[in-house]
Amino acid sequence: MTNSYSMKRSIIFTLLIMVLLISVVLGIGIGAISIPPSEIVRILLSHVPGLQYYFAKGWAPEHATIVLTMRFPRVLLAALVGTGLALAGTVFQGLFRNPMADPYVIGVSSGAALGAVGSILLQSVVDIPLRYGIPAFAFVFAIITILLVYNLARVGGKAPVMNLILAGVAVNSVISALVSLCMFFSGNQLHQVLFWLMGGFSGRGMDYVYIFIPYGVVGTAIIFVYARELNAMLLGEEAAEHLGVEVERVKRRLLIAAALLTGACVAVSGMIGFVGLVIPHIVRMIFGPDHRTLLPAVALVGASFLLLADILARVIIAPGELPVGIVTALVGGPFFIYLLRRQKSTMF
Amino acid sequence: MLFNILGVTCGYGASPVLKDVNVQINSQDFVGIVGPNGSGKSTLLRTISRVLKPTHGKVLLDEKDIYQMSGAEVAQKMAVVSQEQGLDFPFTVKDVVMMGRIPHLKRFAREGSRDFAAVARAMDLTDTAVLADRQVTELSGGEKQRVLLARALAQEPQILLLDEPTSYLDINYQIEIMELLVRMRRDYGLTIIAVLHDLNLASRFSDYLLVMKKGCVHAVGTPHQVITIPMIKDVYGCEVRVECSSSERPYMVFNAETKPAAGGSARRVHVVGGGGSGVQIFRNLLNAGWQISSGVVNVGDSDWQEACRLGIRVIEAPPFCPVGADEAALNKEMMQKAEFIILAGIPFGTGNLRNLETVLEEAERGARVIVVDNIDINERDYTGGQAALLYQKLLQSGVQTVNSEWEAMQLMEGSAGNAI
Repeated sequence: MTNSYSMKRSIIFTLLIMVLLISVVLGIGIGAISIPPSEIVRILLSHVPGLQYYFAKGWAPEHATIVLTMRFPRVLLAALVGTGLALAGTVFQGLFRNPMADPYVIGVSSGAALGAVGSILLQSVVDIPLRYGIPAFAFVFAIITILLVYNLARVGGKAPVMNLILAGVAVNSVISALVSLCMFFSGNQLHQVLFWLMGGFSGRGMDYVYIFIPYGVVGTAIIFVYARELNAMLLGEEAAEHLGVEVERVKRRLLIAAALLTGACVAVSGMIGFVGLVIPHIVRMIFGPDHRTLLPAVALVGASFLLLADILARVIIAPGELPVGIVTALVGGPFFIYLLRRQKSTMF
Repeated sequence: MLFNILGVTCGYGASPVLKDVNVQINSQDFVGIVGPNGSGKSTLLRTISRVLKPTHGKVLLDEKDIYQMSGAEVAQKMAVVSQEQGLDFPFTVKDVVMMGRIPHLKRFAREGSRDFAAVARAMDLTDTAVLADRQVTELSGGEKQRVLLARALAQEPQILLLDEPTSYLDINYQIEIMELLVRMRRDYGLTIIAVLHDLNLASRFSDYLLVMKKGCVHAVGTPHQVITIPMIKDVYGCEVRVECSSSERPYMVFNAETKPAAGGSARRVHVVGGGGSGVQIFRNLLNAGWQISSGVVNVGDSDWQEACRLGIRVIEAPPFCPVGADEAALNKEMMQKAEFIILAGIPFGTGNLRNLETVLEEAERGARVIVVDNIDINERDYTGGQAALLYQKLLQSGVQTVNSEWEAMQLMEGSAGNAI
């Protein structure tokens, strides 16, 4: 029984990894100039240290440029953001034992957005081109928001889940209003702000990947470290405490980790909805609630999902491009509803 | 000494729920915590389970303050089965029980053979092995409770804290779980501290009871010392009977009946019964406000016991002795004071034949006699025809005949206006 289960699990994981690799190749290959998969693989592998001598340069040099400087960074970033948002969503849902929790509900995404929109306006006012200003502001505001929510929810040294959600919803609505206010006063910056808010990976280069990676790595590492504690906390905070989990400490660290990830995602790609909400649900339906398998699966599925959504965003109105946030909502929403209708019996 | 709870004051907000509570619990004790709702039982349990830090005082476990110890350190020694089940996620039973090993596992360590053995044993003891691969969300309340107990046992604790562990269980599982706890204590030296709502369950299984009242410890002691009528009146504010034969633990029974208003104005009835025939009618009559006398019955007879419990005047004969002349005279006296005489459908033997004779005499004298004629007299005549003869005579002497005790009461109630 255990064997057949772990076998099934490794088959599914293999499939998920294959889907991700195929999505990466597709994402690089599809575009105004399409590049065949074998060429993509060779170009990429030739840049892996130690392998460069095994791959003869049998490709057009402009293809290599497109792959390496334009498409690969974008695809990589989409995959990272997909992973980050999905993991953050998993953590929020697990911590709050609430299917509706995601980076948006708790206000972290809006906080990041406020930082980003604010920095766009600031640039226009003080006339300093802050190239990395947007991510930095988005990131700082995400952390500030989660700290604010946590402290608002705190009663006598503890922050009960219900309080956290209520505080999150309240803070979120205030911040959303502030974002709208910024937009109202943004004048000729409105287009830039709007475009940013809709989310996407258009024109993102490796520099964005480098911005993302430190926060992404730290956040993800913390989350994986506490997988077992997350399981225990699904039984209720008191039950977790009875099992020796230092609930408040774990909760604080996980909140910070999820805020790190969300802030980094919003910072590099704007507001992309539905990934953090839908992906954890779908994966939980397949794998069950055990975070030790759930988290890696969520990471893989989130990456593939956002990659494929980005491909769609690029091809639907080619040569134009849709903001990917619209695509994720349009594709993810109905699929999610379909799944919920099918599995009404389970809680998540 | 294992647990030492020193001057613990504790609460959620301004007003303390626990006030200066001092308790000592020794290793391998089975302690039941009882008390009315809101008396602080669960709060006390949460305080000693390292969930709710007291505002004053300390909780010492083996001389160490549990709030200075790490969560895992405490959880290795102490497991908790709380009232909230919290099994809302589709984990398998196996997974949930395995979570009991969390305090013993190093971070990133995989579960080893020792962990699997502990889980298997816990599931075996709680009868949950058959559920191993089921999802906990699909289980009944009782099954969930046993899974939670299994998880606690998988922790291999020295101390087991339970908050109303039987509240979701059917009666058979209530006893089974309690007996399992007793066995765990005996076989593994577990110390058990359980909040129990059911006083009788608490009395039956605990070595010591801790009675909580309004956030204070009202009494501590063995069930015999603690489960008393005054304690229950004091703590719960209700009247009960406490019964205790010498070999058993005391148990209490609620007096559901309201006591009839005292005073001479109550109407009187005399019941001639025995062998349990009066048990049903006594209470109904009392509830309806009648003042009852009964006799003659033997000491120890179930009617006699019930009459004593209810404080009914009863004319008694020594055990296994026939009704004597003195008793019969007393009985007659009581009959004459009563407005009605009820003769229940009792069997007659040589021992109580005199009762029938007395009733007949009274009937012939013109007293209002109601005969409950629910069983043919020939089937309950063990005197070789004497009783049947008297009975026929009685029926012809102008008595009223009814089919049940209930009808007898209706008859008496109906005559309220035109009696006397």
